[in-house]
Amino acid sequence: MSRRLLGLGILLGKRVLWMLLTVWIVFTITWILMRLVPGGPYSAEKKVPPAIQRNLEAQFRMNEPLLVQYGSQLWDALRGDLRLSMKLQDYSVNEVIAQGFPVSAALGIFALTFALFFGTVAGVISAVRRNSFFDYSFMAFATLGIAVPNFVLAGVAILIIVFQWHLLPPAGWGSRDHIWLPALCLAAPYTAYVARLTRAGMLEVLNLDYIRTAYAKGLSPRTVIVKHALRGAILPVVSYIGPAAAGILTGSLILERIFNIPGMGSHFIEAASQRDYTLAMGIVLVSTILVYVMNMLVDISYAVIDPRVKME
Amino acid sequence: MREQAITYGVFAEQPESMPPIFRALFPLLFLALLGVAFVWSIAFEELPPADFAFDNGNEVQTVDPARATGSPENRILNALFEGLLRSLPEPGWEEKYGPDDNVPMTPQPAMADLPEISEDGRVYTYRIKDGRLWSDGSPVTAYDFEWSWMRVLHPESASQYAYQLYYLKGGRAYNTMQLENGDLVEVELADRPNPLQLFPRGTILHGRLKEIRKPKAPVIPEDASEERKNRIEGEWQEKWVYLVEVEEEGKDQPKLRAFSKKPRLSQPLYDGEIEPCMWVLTDFSKTVGVKAVDEKTLVVTLNSATPYFNELVAFYTLYPVHRPTIEKYGSPGWAKPQYLVGNGPFTMEFRRIRDRIRLKKNPKYWDAANVKLNTIDAMAVKSETTSLNLYLDKQIDWATVMPVSTIPKLRKEFGDQFRSAPMLTVYFYRVNTTRPGLRDPRVRRALNLAIDKANICQIITRAGEVPATTFVPPGLAGYESPPGQGFDVEQARKLLAEAGYPNGRGLPVVEILYNDTDAHRTIAERVQQMWRENLGVESRLRGLEWGVYLDAQDKLDYGVARAGWIADYPDPNTFLDLFVSDNPQNQTGWKNARYDELIEGASQESDPEKRLKMLSEAEAILLEEMPIIPFYFYVSKNLVKPYVRGFFNNVQDLHPLTLIEVDKEAKAKALKFGAGEKTAGGAR
Repeated sequence: MSRRLLGLGILLGKRVLWMLLTVWIVFTITWILMRLVPGGPYSAEKKVPPAIQRNLEAQFRMNEPLLVQYGSQLWDALRGDLRLSMKLQDYSVNEVIAQGFPVSAALGIFALTFALFFGTVAGVISAVRRNSFFDYSFMAFATLGIAVPNFVLAGVAILIIVFQWHLLPPAGWGSRDHIWLPALCLAAPYTAYVARLTRAGMLEVLNLDYIRTAYAKGLSPRTVIVKHALRGAILPVVSYIGPAAAGILTGSLILERIFNIPGMGSHFIEAASQRDYTLAMGIVLVSTILVYVMNMLVDISYAVIDPRVKME
Repeated sequence: MREQAITYGVFAEQPESMPPIFRALFPLLFLALLGVAFVWSIAFEELPPADFAFDNGNEVQTVDPARATGSPENRILNALFEGLLRSLPEPGWEEKYGPDDNVPMTPQPAMADLPEISEDGRVYTYRIKDGRLWSDGSPVTAYDFEWSWMRVLHPESASQYAYQLYYLKGGRAYNTMQLENGDLVEVELADRPNPLQLFPRGTILHGRLKEIRKPKAPVIPEDASEERKNRIEGEWQEKWVYLVEVEEEGKDQPKLRAFSKKPRLSQPLYDGEIEPCMWVLTDFSKTVGVKAVDEKTLVVTLNSATPYFNELVAFYTLYPVHRPTIEKYGSPGWAKPQYLVGNGPFTMEFRRIRDRIRLKKNPKYWDAANVKLNTIDAMAVKSETTSLNLYLDKQIDWATVMPVSTIPKLRKEFGDQFRSAPMLTVYFYRVNTTRPGLRDPRVRRALNLAIDKANICQIITRAGEVPATTFVPPGLAGYESPPGQGFDVEQARKLLAEAGYPNGRGLPVVEILYNDTDAHRTIAERVQQMWRENLGVESRLRGLEWGVYLDAQDKLDYGVARAGWIADYPDPNTFLDLFVSDNPQNQTGWKNARYDELIEGASQESDPEKRLKMLSEAEAILLEEMPIIPFYFYVSKNLVKPYVRGFFNNVQDLHPLTLIEVDKEAKAKALKFGAGEKTAGGAR
């Protein structure tokens, strides 16, 4: 027991170190790329005299030698101070992320829950009723869901659900009505993928000896499927939750733009196109950490669920 | 037995693994967590819809009048603050003008009455009216204006629009830190409570500059980037030692003291004590032409008669800001909704980044009785399609943008909701007059003549834009542009041949630079085609991302470059002074002494008629020399619901929220049809 906990501790420690290293590399590459692009953050159509330009740069400490700028910004980032946003001048990057993250998180969690629930259900039904009408139609939908890009789906959904049926608002954020369309469009490919993973997993497990044994013991089909088969079949899905969660939380860029949602995706697109160096950097770092943490959590839970996985 | 043995093998490490109970609970734990998170994700606190909602385009970059620059900011700042004067239509405009007419707007009494203007047109005296309050209840005074204008001009504020105050005597020198020996100066000592915040400032000493001692100027490598040059220059300037005869209280004789931003580095230059300072600038209170004589009287002294100065006073850069709040919370803290104190018709109830700003009627506003709306949502909508969708779905009452491709249809189907009129904005191409070929005015004129602008307006822009033959848009009172030339292929070919490039032979390929959006690209492609067909001139398209495009334009790294200019104030000067030799916006390499002379002369001229004539003469030179090719004048494009009253067209596309009124009954009725009865928004 203690050895295993110790193993877990060492694993976590190693992972955190790797994460810091990754964050540092991401920071450095992003930082260099931003400086390489021609046209500074203060390029504006209405120009200011050089003296004032210098003051602007001084406020964001861009007047120092490059290495000093790099070092001080890295140090600030490590302390959790992402500095002032260069374009949203009334806010610090921390404040922008504090406002944007919950929005993207709500959207992402909604989408993830949807994807896991409906994906699993569809997968199980497809596997149990193999080659039935349900199986074919679910898997056809799944193929569509993976193949159709979510922005196309969004356009079609707006046309039909908003303007034909008048069920939901076309864009915006703030009431429950606003979350449905973007979350469903966001969830579509993940639902499809989960459904296919579950189906494949179930088909494999259903042929194994212990399922036969369970049936032989006289257990009801539902008990066998839910309690025994699903447990084994769900493992691929569990390992998919990590990348899926990270993908959903960071991959809502285009949908946030289409549905005008004030989340991390919108902030990131704007930061990149307006050269808001500090905000773009902040979001890149937060996303990196997020992806890393998600994968780490999945690894740990994997080890908890499946005893064959060793803590190494 | 065999099976059991295998089972035993697999679970051989049982004692070391997680307790089985934990493993059994884990899926439940996960499901519970997911459930809680899911409930959280749909837990929205619904918010009552605002009386009036509109799309405010891009997210407002700042609500600080000294730093703001765009039109989304303009709408918000006009709601939160108010200047000495406010641009409004004259009373009775509703009867006089139809829905498609442009209603003239003039500066009208707001915080102050219309000023008394001295005979030479240089001294303006504004009297603050009674009952003008900040939203915290304190009175607005002339001192607030003096201080706020100083804040705009202070170099550390880095205001992009500070030049709006260059008309003030001494304004430019203060802003650009020009100092000469013998100047009256103010020295700010390095004793600020927070060195990174400009306000509250450190101790200010007043005196006369005796001498600036500078170390040897650094050698700047020729190939250094702009940024690097700036830095080297800046580091050098920080070592300067300022010898100032400082006035001391109770003593007749001033005392000579030495100051420097980096005293330790400049020690070799002076053998006495060098005191650290933040800034040495010209003395604001003694050299800059704005003075609060008492609480109610503000005297403004200009460099020269500026007939449009009142228009500038009604522009947000010159609005007052609340000194105590800024000194208490610093920047950007003071601009947060919970602290912001304004003097405008509305206050900021809350702000959600890239979502909306909720405005609330300010009960302390002097004319609150005539402000009809209680709450307004200014939505930040980035995409034109989204904006149109929101409008069609009745989520917003006024859309300020819409996709160009939908305009013909909107005009047809929403005729009375689509409000459009000519604006003071011009779409043009800069021509790089330093490039071979383009150096010749005849070539530039030929390029202009070979573009069928009417065709571009009809086929591409399609919102009723007016093809341009001149640079200054029509609609400026009293100003008449010189006649320009339209589409004339014959003439164009002749000019090109005269210049030595018959049928375009020998003319280097012209590079068309634009910021890469569909509209600009389509126009550039059309131009490319017209030049090829009409003149035999070859061109190459170069669409760049905004920042890179600005940079390329700035470095004259282009053949012709797409541009647009919106009037800062309704006067031809806002267009024409762009192409004075030393204007940073010139960006064409074009210089003309006579042109500079006329623009400078006009700024000194006090007779309005003569002045406009000089400007017209200058424009004639511009059109003759063609460092720019004007394409068309924009029209304003707004979609406004029929139940909105008080909305009118004007040449600057300004729509004061104070005048807007919503017919609540009609709106409720409109919302009943189809969707949209749901709340427009809510809080998280």
